Amino acid sequence: MGPGFSVRALLWYRHNADVRNWISGNHMTGRTIEFALIGATLATTLMAPTLAAETHKEYRFNVGPKSGISINNPYGSISVRPSTGNFVVINATLSSDKVEVDNNVTGNRVEVVSHLLPGADARSGSIDYEILVPADASVTLHSSAGALHAEKLHGDVTLEGAGATVDVRDLVSAHVRVKTLNGPVTLSNVQDGHVEVDSLSGNVTLREVTGPLVQVISTSGGISYVGDFGDRGEYRLTSHSGDIEALVPDSTSADVSARSVRGEVHDDIHLQPRQHVPYVIERGSAFWGTMGRAAASSTVVLRSFSGKIHLRKRSTK
Amino acid sequence: MTCIELQESLAENETVSSIAQRAHLKDCPQCAALVAELLLIACAAGELSSSHEPSPRVWNSIEIALRKEGVIRPQPAAHSFFPAFSTSRALRWLLPVAAALLITAGILVRQHLPSRQVANNQYVGSAESDAAIAGLNDDDLIQEIAEQSPALQAQYAENLRRVNQYILDAKSSVAADPNDEEAHRSLMDAYQQKAMLFELALDRSLP
Repeated sequence: MGPGFSVRALLWYRHNADVRNWISGNHMTGRTIEFALIGATLATTLMAPTLAAETHKEYRFNVGPKSGISINNPYGSISVRPSTGNFVVINATLSSDKVEVDNNVTGNRVEVVSHLLPGADARSGSIDYEILVPADASVTLHSSAGALHAEKLHGDVTLEGAGATVDVRDLVSAHVRVKTLNGPVTLSNVQDGHVEVDSLSGNVTLREVTGPLVQVISTSGGISYVGDFGDRGEYRLTSHSGDIEALVPDSTSADVSARSVRGEVHDDIHLQPRQHVPYVIERGSAFWGTMGRAAASSTVVLRSFSGKIHLRKRSTK
Repeated sequence: MTCIELQESLAENETVSSIAQRAHLKDCPQCAALVAELLLIACAAGELSSSHEPSPRVWNSIEIALRKEGVIRPQPAAHSFFPAFSTSRALRWLLPVAAALLITAGILVRQHLPSRQVANNQYVGSAESDAAIAGLNDDDLIQEIAEQSPALQAQYAENLRRVNQYILDAKSSVAADPNDEEAHRSLMDAYQQKAMLFELALDRSLP
């Protein structure tokens, strides 16, 4: 049903007294029906071009173990989940005919690029991708403004985008690299990971993220860590002007060093002081100590120039 | 132009001013990232060039290695790459591949210097050179953003201002306590953030 149908219906209604009388006799006011028809007209008018232009495409590629998948999508979201075998399935929803999907398979590597055609903009050039990849694949996702999502993988996962919203969850033994300008970054349940997050001004949230190396660098974004800092890992959370908060359970074992050059530092947890500290500890601007069992502890460095740093105990409630 | 041709043109011409080069950079995120990283390395070079100048033996070794790799060819009066950066706009955009090796060598040299040899005022004193080198490149970055995506110009400008402040603060911390390894690390973090800003800006996916 195109917009023409509703327009004709509206005109027909407005010029047919019998119909109006019939509607009145059926306890529907003419005004109500008129509004309904106008609404239907507007809705179909607005939706028709979208529905007509939006297309879905599916691509399937067989790959070997440890394959590589790269998606470069200027506008639109990318979501990656594990497939059940050594194959890649790409479901693409194209917003218009001003953008197309270019794909290239070289050996064990699949590269997909959203190719913007002349006249494409953020709306007409958008493609939303739903992708299935082998769980051990190395995945590189790139979108400037769309949402990036990856879950249940254990290969290398790289996500980049200026304003992209990044959501990564349920990864095991993965190497995770994230780069954003101002898009918020959330990592949840990443175990035994090698995690590197760089964000200029986006807020970074880590929930139950552990591994040999967990590093977040931000210029003005805030950093929030919720978890126990794992076992014998190195955790470095650095922001120039953003606040840093770490929320840890009682069972945490870690050597914690926190320092803010011009901001405040608070710790609600008793720390065993260290014997040798490489800089002068000024109360309120730095602390350094051990919590839990020192023998099986991780190294945690929290550093800011003008942001606040707060180490808090997680409530058991 | 292919990636190899671009890299060869970088080595030969030391500019990215040609239409073919710029067209390739817009379409190739790998090369754009390479140029962005080299650009930042060149920025960082300002502070290393004077106080951490490697010995002539290091320069010679680097030059020999580059010649063996075919990255550079004999050129007259090629004693230093750095003056070029401050005199030519084109050269600011073009980051010679050699700069990466030079700065890497500089950083390695610095890391092996006794901390007490690091003068207290060396980083503060280099703020001027940063303004001369990084500042001009900042203008190029903003100009590039303005051409590609005017709507994002203010956003990038603000982030650039913040990351430059980050670098200045990190330098101050190093100057205040040259023995503080964390301060040195923060300075490198700050440069890394700026490198990322350039990389994102030059990326082909820029809306």
